[in-house]
Amino acid sequence: MIKHHPNESLLEQFVEGSLPASISVAIAAHVELCPCCQKKTQALEEAKASQQFSDAAPLALDADMIQLMESIALTDDVDEVHDYIQPTFSYQGRDVQLPRAIANIDRTKFSGVGKVSRARLLLEDGELRSSLLEIEAEGEIPEHTHTGFEITLLLDGDFSDESGEYVPGDFIWQDGRHNHSPRTKSGCLCFTVVSSALHFNKGLSKLLNPIGNLIY
Amino acid sequence: MIGQQQSVDCNVKSGTRKAVQDTPSQALSDALVKVATSRDRKAFAYLFEYFAPKIKRFGVKQFGNEAQAMELVQDTMTSVWRKAHLYHHDKGAATTWIYTVMRNASFDALRKMKSNKEEHISEDIWPIIQDSQTDDEGFKDHLQTAQIQKYINKLPPAQRDIVKGVYFQEMSQEQLAEHLNIPVGTVKSRLRLALQKLRAELGDQA
Ligand SMILES: [Zn+2]
Repeated sequence: MIKHHPNESLLEQFVEGSLPASISVAIAAHVELCPCCQKKTQALEEAKASQQFSDAAPLALDADMIQLMESIALTDDVDEVHDYIQPTFSYQGRDVQLPRAIANIDRTKFSGVGKVSRARLLLEDGELRSSLLEIEAEGEIPEHTHTGFEITLLLDGDFSDESGEYVPGDFIWQDGRHNHSPRTKSGCLCFTVVSSALHFNKGLSKLLNPIGNLIY
Repeated sequence: MIGQQQSVDCNVKSGTRKAVQDTPSQALSDALVKVATSRDRKAFAYLFEYFAPKIKRFGVKQFGNEAQAMELVQDTMTSVWRKAHLYHHDKGAATTWIYTVMRNASFDALRKMKSNKEEHISEDIWPIIQDSQTDDEGFKDHLQTAQIQKYINKLPPAQRDIVKGVYFQEMSQEQLAEHLNIPVGTVKSRLRLALQKLRAELGDQA
């Protein structure tokens, strides 16, 4: 069962559309996997909607508004919406279905160091970078801390760190106060959002730089 | 942004929602359905009068200027006119649906301001049609063959009626429910069962 969810204020900002795109993608993917957060976001959307749209008194439309209204309804055309077919994603001999928000964004090919490889999502978003991260069985990411934050959404397989074990759908938010060294027994696939380069222990930084660059 | 953003539980608060008496919910929902089914311009004018000034007010708060607020009104109300057929009144209030359309338009506009790129990533983050049975859609294309017809005819009558209604008479699940005088939930579960059986029968061919 999923144990780690985005907290209340994060979900609220998500529903308002006020979070950066990469974080919104991470939360949308969690929500797709988590029935409980689905209910919560629906309830939040209802609450926001009645906040914005509850006063009944229609204001009189000015000339600009009336012109706009008429121009919109000029044609009878409708937008065709194509059926969405969820593509299958294969890694390490396993077939999985990626959450829609992740699957629909273009990404680079996978490239890696050792047991860790990543594909970057082509999503321009300031300092935030998002990726699909694949770790082979018995692989790990060396202990590191962050100056910013790191979101990890486990999509498939197993994954654990100092705080415990995670299941697919778990939404893990790490910031500068934590240091952790995630590892996997039988291999896993994650979605990650990272806000700045990772910091490994100084003495080892040279050695570990490639993986640091890989993950950010 | 920094801080504990993750939570180890997920409690849905219930009973806190109070009905907003001022909102003419039924009338708004009816108008949206009329726009969808008969391109009713009077119904659209009613929706426009109700929502456009409120969307503009939201836009001014969001973007800090009138021109962009008007663009938000245009983007949102254009989607309402052109996508009304995607609204399902059994899934929620018209106000909620229009809120999500506005939120999506506003999200794309804010991104456009930041990255100067025209894109509609909001559709990937918050799909306007949320169909959990999306993987059944690919299946639909294969349904025309005689062999499948044969399997469909072997289904229990209750399930067969649903499959035929949805795939051959192209009725919506809501229409079918009304037609057969059963709850929509029953239509959905019978359809699910029927598709499971068909998949099992067809094995790898599907
Ligand atoms: Zn959740």
